Parts: sequence; C-alpha cells; structure tokens
Amino acid sequence: MKVTQGTFSFLPELTDEQIKAQIEYALDQGWAVNVEYTDDPHPRNTYWEMWGLPMFDLRDPVGVMEEVQACRDAHPNHYIRVGAFDSTRGWETLRLSFIVNRPEREPGFRLVRQEVDGRQIRYTIESYAVTGNPEGERYGD
Amino acid sequence: METERTYSFGGRPGGDARPEEPAPEEQAQTDPVPHVPDDTPVDIEEAFRDSNVQEVLDKLDRELVGLKPIKTRIKETAALLLVDRVRAGVGLPAAVPSLHMSFTGNPGTGKTTVAMRMAEILHRLEYVRKGHLVTVTRDQLVGQYIGHTAPKTKEILKKAMGGVLFIDEAYYLHRPENERDYGSEAIETLLQVMENQRDDLVVILAGYKDRMDQFFQNNPGMHSRIAHHMDFPDYSAEELLDISKLMMEEQQYRFSPEAEETFKEYIELRMQRPNFSNARSVRNALERARLRQANRLFAGGGKGLTKRDLMTIEAEDFRASRVFTELEGNSADGG
Amino acid sequence: MSETLKGAERYKAGVIPYAKMGYWEADYEPKPTDIIALFRISPQEGVDPIEAAAAVAGESSTATWTVVWTDRLTAADLYRAKAYKVDAVPGAEGQYFAYIAYDYDLFEEGSIANLTASIIGNVFGFKALKSLRLEDMYFPPAYLKTFQGPATGIVAERERLDKYGRPLLGATTKPKLGLSARNYGRVVYEALKGGLDFVKDDENINSQPFMKWRERYLYCMEAVNRASAATGEVKGHYLNVTAGTMEEMIRRAEFAKELGSVIIMIDLIVGYTAIQSMAKWCYDNDMILHLHRAGHGTYTRQKTHGISFRVICKWMRMAGVDHIHAGTVVGKLEGDPNMVQGFYDVLREPYLHKNLQQGIFFDQDWASLKKVMPVASGGIHAGQMHQLLHYLGEDVILQFGGGTIGHPDGIEAGATANRVAVEAMIQARNEGRDIMNEGPEILQEAARWCSPLGVALDLWKDITFDYASTDTGDYVPTETPGS
Repeated sequence: MKVTQGTFSFLPELTDEQIKAQIEYALDQGWAVNVEYTDDPHPRNTYWEMWGLPMFDLRDPVGVMEEVQACRDAHPNHYIRVGAFDSTRGWETLRLSFIVNRPEREPGFRLVRQEVDGRQIRYTIESYAVTGNPEGERYGD
Repeated sequence: METERTYSFGGRPGGDARPEEPAPEEQAQTDPVPHVPDDTPVDIEEAFRDSNVQEVLDKLDRELVGLKPIKTRIKETAALLLVDRVRAGVGLPAAVPSLHMSFTGNPGTGKTTVAMRMAEILHRLEYVRKGHLVTVTRDQLVGQYIGHTAPKTKEILKKAMGGVLFIDEAYYLHRPENERDYGSEAIETLLQVMENQRDDLVVILAGYKDRMDQFFQNNPGMHSRIAHHMDFPDYSAEELLDISKLMMEEQQYRFSPEAEETFKEYIELRMQRPNFSNARSVRNALERARLRQANRLFAGGGKGLTKRDLMTIEAEDFRASRVFTELEGNSADGG
Repeated sequence: MSETLKGAERYKAGVIPYAKMGYWEADYEPKPTDIIALFRISPQEGVDPIEAAAAVAGESSTATWTVVWTDRLTAADLYRAKAYKVDAVPGAEGQYFAYIAYDYDLFEEGSIANLTASIIGNVFGFKALKSLRLEDMYFPPAYLKTFQGPATGIVAERERLDKYGRPLLGATTKPKLGLSARNYGRVVYEALKGGLDFVKDDENINSQPFMKWRERYLYCMEAVNRASAATGEVKGHYLNVTAGTMEEMIRRAEFAKELGSVIIMIDLIVGYTAIQSMAKWCYDNDMILHLHRAGHGTYTRQKTHGISFRVICKWMRMAGVDHIHAGTVVGKLEGDPNMVQGFYDVLREPYLHKNLQQGIFFDQDWASLKKVMPVASGGIHAGQMHQLLHYLGEDVILQFGGGTIGHPDGIEAGATANRVAVEAMIQARNEGRDIMNEGPEILQEAARWCSPLGVALDLWKDITFDYASTDTGDYVPTETPGS
C-alpha cells in the first residue's frame, strides 16, 4: 500500500526540483517551513519528530532543501514531511504539508475489529510495521 | 492487503512509477550547444535596459553624496556581469563569477547602503534569486559553547540564501588571542558555502580597512574567495555638508545662512576628534541640533513664531555643542 | 413628504403613514451597535418608495397598522427601526434598495429564530409591496459575539483530518434512494479508498423503508474505517441525522458519535433553532457539522423575492455550521460567479469588505467567528478542476457525486481521477503556472500516467451547464477599453 497522507501523495513521488518549487511557494506566502519525520504513520499520529525548528524568515528554498536532505540521510527509511506554518490571524496553522520521503516497503495497516454490544464494532487501526517493533527499528533503518 | 487493480495508475498508492522523462540536468548534458554564428548581433544596451539596473544606479546616486570611486566600481561590476549574461546568451563560456566582496572603510561611509543596492543589482542581473540583504555581526554567527556555532551560522546562511549576506566588522570572527574561540568554526562554515554555493548567495565582508587587511592576512582562505575589494573613502567636509542638507530636506528642516557656516565649522572640528564616523556623526549632530532648536523655541515662550521658525536651525543650535565648547576651554561634560 | 410627527400629534389615534411615524429618518446615522438590513423593495404602483421602506422598517420592528397609545410607555424612539436610505436599483425600474437600522436591544442574544422572526417575520406579505427581498445584513461585533459560530471551523477541521493545502474531496452516494445499507456502504468504501476524503448522505436519506438509519450508520462506519486502514488517512462519511423531531436527531447524532464518526449532517429545512441546537451539540462532542441547503432555492433564487443566499450564509455562520453548500459556478445548479464568490467570502473571510459587484453591501468584521467550509456540489467533474480552484479557492469541499460514481471503470477509479486532478492542479498552481489557461493541459499531463483521469476527462469533456443565472449582481463593472 501507499500511505496517502499529505497534499501530493497521489502524484508520482515529487522530484527535488518539484519539492523546491512547493517550498518556494510556501516561503513566498510568508509561511515558516519545517521538516518532520516518523516511523509511525498512523493517521492519528499528529506529532512526528521535528527535524529542527520551523525555519522562520527564509527567502529561498535552498536552505530548506538542505535540511530535507540531511533528514533523509539520517532517516532514509522513515516518512519525512515538509510543513508550512501560517501565523496570520484566523489561520495560525499549517497551510501545506506533504511527504518528501517514505520507506521502501510500506506494509500498511490492519483494521482490528472488536465486537462489542449488539452489532457494534469498535475499530482500531494497527500498523504492521509498528506493532511489536520499537521506534527506529520499524522499517529496517 | 493490496487489491488488484485493472487500470493503470502510475502514481497509485503502492506504485512507484515516475514520469518517464529525463531529469533536467541530464537533458542539459545531452542537448548539443546550439551553434550561434559569430556575426550574430548582440544588443548590450537593450539587455541593460531590460535589467532595469540603471534605476538602481540612479537610486544610489540620489541616496549617496560623492563616493565617486565606489559608484564607478559598482557600474563596472554591473557591466561585467551584464556582459557575462549576454555572452552566455550567445553560447559563449561565462564562468560563474565569484561575487563575494569586501567593503572596507570607516563607519558611516555608505557601506550598508551600497550593499543593499548591490543586492538589488545582482538580483536584477539574475545572479541572486531574491535580492534581499541579511546584515549580521559576529554575535549572530558564533555560539557560546561547543556545537552551538555551526547551527547558528547555518541558520543565518539559510536566511541569506538567494540574497546577500553582509557581515559587519567581519574581523571579529577571528580572535587569534583566544585559541578556543568558536569564530573559526563560523569561518569554516562560511568558506564552504562561499565556495560550493556561489549560485545561492553572495557574501560581503565589511569593516575598517586596516583590520580587514589583518583579517585577510590571517585567513588566506577567506581572502582567496573574495574577488571584489572596495575601499570606501572618508567623506570630505564639503560632501558631509551636502549630506547634512539632504538629511535636513528629508525632515523638512533648513539651515539659516549663519547656521550653515557654523555647521561647516563644526564638521571640520568634528573630523579631527576621536570616533568620527562620517555620515553617522553628521546625522547625530543634526539630531542634537533639532533637540536644541526645540528647547530654544520653547524657552522663548513660543510667542510670534511662524512655520519658518519651526523649520529653521540656527547657528546657536550648534554652538552649544561640545565640539565648540571644549574648544573654548569650557567644561568637557555636557552635550 | 415625510416630516416626522412629534409628541401628542404622533400618537393621536388613527392611521398615519409609517414614514411620518418615525420609521423614516433620512439623516439617521447607524450606531456602531445597530443591526442593518438591506431590502430590495418593489412597491405597488403609486406607492412612494420611502413610505414603502418605512413600512418595512415599521412592520419588522415596533409598528402595527394603526397608532397605539401603549407605545408611549416604552422607549419607542429607540426601538423603532429606521429606514435611512433608499436607492433606486441600477437598471431595474420600480425596484429600490432600502437600508434599515435596528437597535440591538430588539433582538435576543444568540438566537437566529428571534432575529428572523423580526426581520422576515411579517413583512413579506405586505400588500403595499409587489415583492420584497432581503439582500444583505450587517451585524455589529457586539451582537455576533453572542453566537457560538461554527462548531469546528476550517482550521480545526483541517487539523483533525490532517489535510492541508488543497480542496477536500467528497461525493454524494448515488442513487440517492433505494440502496440497501450493505450496498450503500460499498459505495462509501470504494470512493474513500480511491482517494476521496468524505462521502455524504444525500439530503433526503434519513430512515426509509429500504434502509433504516442505524443500519446505514453501521455499514458506513465499517467502510470509513476500512478505507482509513487502506490509505493511512483520516476519512469520514457525513451521516445525515435529519429526523422528524429534535430528540430523534440528537439520538442519531449520539449513535454516530458512539461509532466514531468525525462528522454528521443536517438539512437546512430542519429550521434555525434545530440547526443551532445541533451546532451546540457538535461543539460539545468534537463533531463537524455539515449542512445541506435543502429548500433554499424556494426563496433565494428569484431576484425580487425572498432572501439572498448570502444572508443565509451569514445566519448559518452565526448559527454554527461547519460546512454549507454554497454553489459551484460551473456545475448544474444556479450560481453567478460573482454572487457565488461573494457567498464564499461571507463564509470564509475574517473581515468582509464591501464589494457591490459580488453583492456584499457592508464591511463586516466577523468578530473572530470561525470560518465555514463552503461545499461545491452538483454537476461538477475532474475536467473542471482548474476552474473550480480558480473560482472557489482551496478551502472548499468539492463534491463529485456523479463524477465519482459514474466513472466507467468504477467508483474507486472515479475517486482516484478526482484526487489526482486536484493534487496536480494545486501542484501546478503553487509552481506558478497559469491554471485558468493551462488547466486542460495540466490535466492531460496527469492523465498520461493516471488512466482513470484520462477516462474521466474524455467522458465528461463536453459537459457544461451553461444557462443564464437568475440571481445576478446589480452592479456590473464597466469595461474599460484596452483593459
């Protein structure tokens, strides 16, 4: 399977040039860009590890690309995403977030069904890679 | 958990297909250089017009009095860069020039202003992508403890990418008297970027001439990466007076004829005193004169004043300055 | 004509014109706390527009057809609504824009029902008018602050879904009626797995003989969770809780929550009070509230009658819905581009600037009420992606019902076509391409590696719904030659 979180997951993997163009767009909007990584891509895992702080006051995407590459070098088999934060009133949240690195093999998730009262089912989504493996050893890094 | 799909969906989840087009750099290598005949006409003037560089040069002329040699150097540099562009346009080799610079001169001689315009010119000639100026001093580059400096320097470099990094009093990066100083780490990081990312940013080092010379002597690596050295001369007394008039005009003030004479005298005296910093000293002197003018108007009871009075600086507004009072052997203290 | 009468003369028993009773004040300057209503009035032949405006002001505030002495026991001068401006509508003979100011003491705090009982309660039946339409309203921040506003809002919705930077995608399950719960859930699963973020019950899917509501909820949630596991994304299905009584709606909402749904939906026809109750329930239960505007066309579409949809948008933002269908510009349902953009601005902007071309008559500070996500639904397909993005922006839900389920290669392929189209278009826009001109080309580029998109583009390439809009702006920009 392919985890399709992020703004561009249905497109072919973005090339570095394409990633740069998206970062440039974000910087042109005045957004601060950051890099995050994880080996727990559960849909409700909000807090991926931060690869440094969001980069404020940047004008050019080259600096961000260096961090993307450094994060890839350190975590080649993790999910890595780039996020763009908008600080204007009424937003104060992410405005763009897309995956720029993913593990070679994505085993995906199992839907665990717990039969409860009547015909109801309580659902849990479990990652095949995460279950039973500690952080850092999930995708064969 | 994969399900079979009958349709072809190159980028579908699980798929790893990429568009089957060569990456841009591969294309560049395989593309033969188009042959351009030697008698192809080139229009440098048009290229110059298109770049709108003249606008920046004019702005520089308006903003800065004098500085003839610097302005000439800027124009020459712009011409070189422009010709390089045009050469590249007709398939002639034009090496990526090293654009890092050093601006030496005393304080207040226009280094920062020129750096700002330089960034604009480089942007208009497409040598830097964004054209902003990031001004820093040692404190923003060098850390306090082990492992602190490289990230600090890198953070600044990231902000400067696509523009010009202006390091004021750059020699403070190097402190030979302290062998555990982290400044050398910042210099290392800077050197790497200056060498490997010439497309990404231009570095301008600035400071007093003698100390910069010393700095370059101690850091030959830095020296060899700087292609353009510009020495900013001190302003003459005449030029400083012209500058003062520009500053006054900006704020809608003017000298009375006596005040102008007095201020000229003031400048000549001030130039002899320690810590003279050219245009900056002129600006400070005018600020103090404005203060004295206000107090003079107020002390006079404010009767019968006109708009002209509000705009006029009188000789006495300068006379109270320490530059004059100390000359007359009065107390060394006070304004 | 209308010199206001004062004192005893004013309250003498009998019938006097509304304008003379003080419902017309030409030099009145609205207070910062006044609520303002803008009506389009079409007086009967021979009726003075000022008197007609005053009558609307009177009838929507304190007046009745005759003078009553009990007025004199009240601060009547304050409570009287004041018509203060009447402008002829450009290019429409016999129609006038009447501006009427109301003191905020006339309205109970936090109640759309009370507000509307006054503003549209009685006046529409007025014999002296041929027709009447509420075009726009201004609400002072002091009054807005008495409303909860959207239960979730665009920002929190995106954070909960972890989806940023692109329109969200949805589809309405088709056929609207007749599917069994099991088959219905299949549509939901396929569409979500294929790439949509949401699937939706239609407005009239409640609990019919062919599909009981609990049955639908159970199968839909199986589909949602299954799709979530298949993609690693948060997914949702708008479970319609619309029912015959308020108690039943709450019961259905509670069940949806118990099953772990992130969103429920209601129809506009449940009424303002029910909508506010559901918004409050959603706020308390971390649920997104989707509103289908079922029924609005009966009073929003004709230019001279009813209520403009922009007013409904304002009321619904105050009432607290998170989603509302607000037009597509290019689809099968009514919607002049300018008017629709005005609706979208009403729903999404923190501060509205007067923009007559888009039918926005007032500057309006939304007093930090959250943003409502507009929904574009009805006759849209992937081939229009560039136009949809251009006209509607990225904070919108694009509902491709037929455009997903009608795909020849199946629902999943249909969903994928839409998702690829939206991502490719966002990517191109961010890269600085001119999507309005290059849009078809951008889609074709993507179709080269995504065959479902190619099939969709080919199938629906000629589908447009090019009819003249009825609800259009009154202020058309004058074309400057050469611009």
